[in-house]
Amino acid sequence: MDTQFLVSLSIILATFALYIGIALYNKAKATSDFYVAGRGVPPVFNGMAIGADWMSAASFIGMAGTIMLLGYDGLAYIMGWTGGYLLLTFLLAPQLRKYGRYTVPEFIGDRFDSHTARVLAAVCTIIISFTYSIGQLSGSGVVIGRLFEIDAKLGTMIGVVLIAFYAAFGGMKGITWTQVAQYIVLIIAYLIPVIFMSLQLTNNPLPWLSYGELVGKMGELDRELGISQYFAPFTNGTKWQFLALMFTLMCGTAGLPHVIVRFYTVSTMKAARWSGAWALLFIGLLYFSAPAYAAFSRFILMTKVAGSKITELPAWTKSWIDTGKLQMADNNGDGVLQWSELIISNDIVVMATPEIANLGVFVIGLVAAGAMAAALSTAGGLMISISSSFAHDIFYRVWKPNSTEKTRLAVARWSIVIATLLAGLIALNPPGAITQIVAWAFALATGTFFPALVLGVWWKRSNAQGVIAGLLVGLAVTLGYIFAAKYGGFTILGIIDTGAGVFGAAAAFLANIVVSLATPAPSQKLQEEVLDLRYPEQMVYKDGSVWMNDDATKSI
Amino acid sequence: MKKIDKAVADQYFREKNTYMVLYLVIWFCVSFGAVLLAEPLSNFSIGGFPFHYFMGAQGSVLTFIILLFVNAKVGDQIDKKYGIDEAKNIKLSEGKTLDH
Repeated sequence: MDTQFLVSLSIILATFALYIGIALYNKAKATSDFYVAGRGVPPVFNGMAIGADWMSAASFIGMAGTIMLLGYDGLAYIMGWTGGYLLLTFLLAPQLRKYGRYTVPEFIGDRFDSHTARVLAAVCTIIISFTYSIGQLSGSGVVIGRLFEIDAKLGTMIGVVLIAFYAAFGGMKGITWTQVAQYIVLIIAYLIPVIFMSLQLTNNPLPWLSYGELVGKMGELDRELGISQYFAPFTNGTKWQFLALMFTLMCGTAGLPHVIVRFYTVSTMKAARWSGAWALLFIGLLYFSAPAYAAFSRFILMTKVAGSKITELPAWTKSWIDTGKLQMADNNGDGVLQWSELIISNDIVVMATPEIANLGVFVIGLVAAGAMAAALSTAGGLMISISSSFAHDIFYRVWKPNSTEKTRLAVARWSIVIATLLAGLIALNPPGAITQIVAWAFALATGTFFPALVLGVWWKRSNAQGVIAGLLVGLAVTLGYIFAAKYGGFTILGIIDTGAGVFGAAAAFLANIVVSLATPAPSQKLQEEVLDLRYPEQMVYKDGSVWMNDDATKSI
Repeated sequence: MKKIDKAVADQYFREKNTYMVLYLVIWFCVSFGAVLLAEPLSNFSIGGFPFHYFMGAQGSVLTFIILLFVNAKVGDQIDKKYGIDEAKNIKLSEGKTLDH
């Protein structure tokens, strides 16, 4: 029991108490509240909630480390995970808001008037959110593993219990305001170490301006070591892989069910527009800082750790070697640790850097609390998506339409517990780094929901047969490519598993369009509902013309 | 309920879409465009950053944020121009979900 452990644990417990307090205050009572918090969260706060929902263990724990190890090539994550918000806010969010349904499968089921499409969409939601949650659990394993100085596997098991309990008893109503709190905790926890490191290394409190010179300096250090320069483009993959990954992350952003559902919590299309803008501003704060975090970490490791004597390594190294995520070996036996002899996992860079830079127990504890906030908030949103897909879209809408609210709530809670346990089981031996696992979830969303939703909103001719074909083909191609690339070594233009969404989306768009055109057009009513999405709430498309609802009566 | 001239309704939709296409063109240039031209851009530098790195890490994200706020603001103005009243929108979308 050292001071660090006590400080970290108390900060984490204090923030948990805050979240639980807020959740209890807004305790979910009715089912409608459990899914979508009573419609009417103001855009600024909804923006923060989207930010917390969005910024998961992948953004908080994984991203800076990925950028540190990949250099310029890692920036595909920065551009991809921010640029997708434009697609979402322009092409989908306001329109889906006007359509007004509880969940994404519900939109697909009603828009295409097909139970098959509804169930298929629910299954896709479950697959995507499940994959995503494996990354979150594996992230919480890193944090808890470090905290108790135990293997990350044991940490993951503790995380599973925490998240299952947290999501099953929260519900969306608690979650909106809890997520606002989580956003604030995680952004403070991320910015403080970056600002401190910036002061330490460059005497400039603004890391966003100061790390440019370090990037250049590291290029020189790399040249001396004879390795490729930090900022040199396409050293870890082809240009096509970079573009494919970026495309996948962008379209996946626009197709992720747990993010889209956040736009059902605002009141109008206008509010959806503003929510998207605020969300990206809040998210951008962390994304601007991640490359700075990466640059500072790498600079410190290169100049302060590499080159030290192997017998005189600082104390922080031991606790990280215990988690199994850091390796240092004096391979050439000269008694000095070289840069090439240091193997650091993507997933511990953010957590370990405050210790490396000696930022003090309080900052280290704060980062641990921020990482837990990121993993918990996203896992919460994901679990709500899984449970609503199962309990609402499959169980209630298709399977047992006569079930009572109480039964549905119980089914929702049990599906959360079971999904968390299963995801936890896989996370014990994570099949990749956190960012990579999460990128697969994005590839799946790109290959399934992005084409289905874009065509569903923008093309009235798209019909049930088309969307079913699109979802099936997109899912098969994306999954097939991920497995073929990861385990079979199959690639096209050097595009690896994380860029699989490009092929999935292309195949799904094609299948949807071809099958839709080859089968009868949807009914007049469905087509009019699609045309209605072109206009704000007050303008209504009906019987071939547009009406202005001046007295705001809900006659339709 | 008052019928709107088809031309006016179409004009509303077209105006919104024109702006959207413009934003998406800029979006494409700062992200995909900057990556495609990464090698030539790396010969320039800005604030110590090689330019391609700056675009990837900061330039593109900043542009995205600005575009979203411009879109929100311009969207409001278009709505105003066509006499859309947000208070009525809020009233109309209240409880607009399936009854269950």
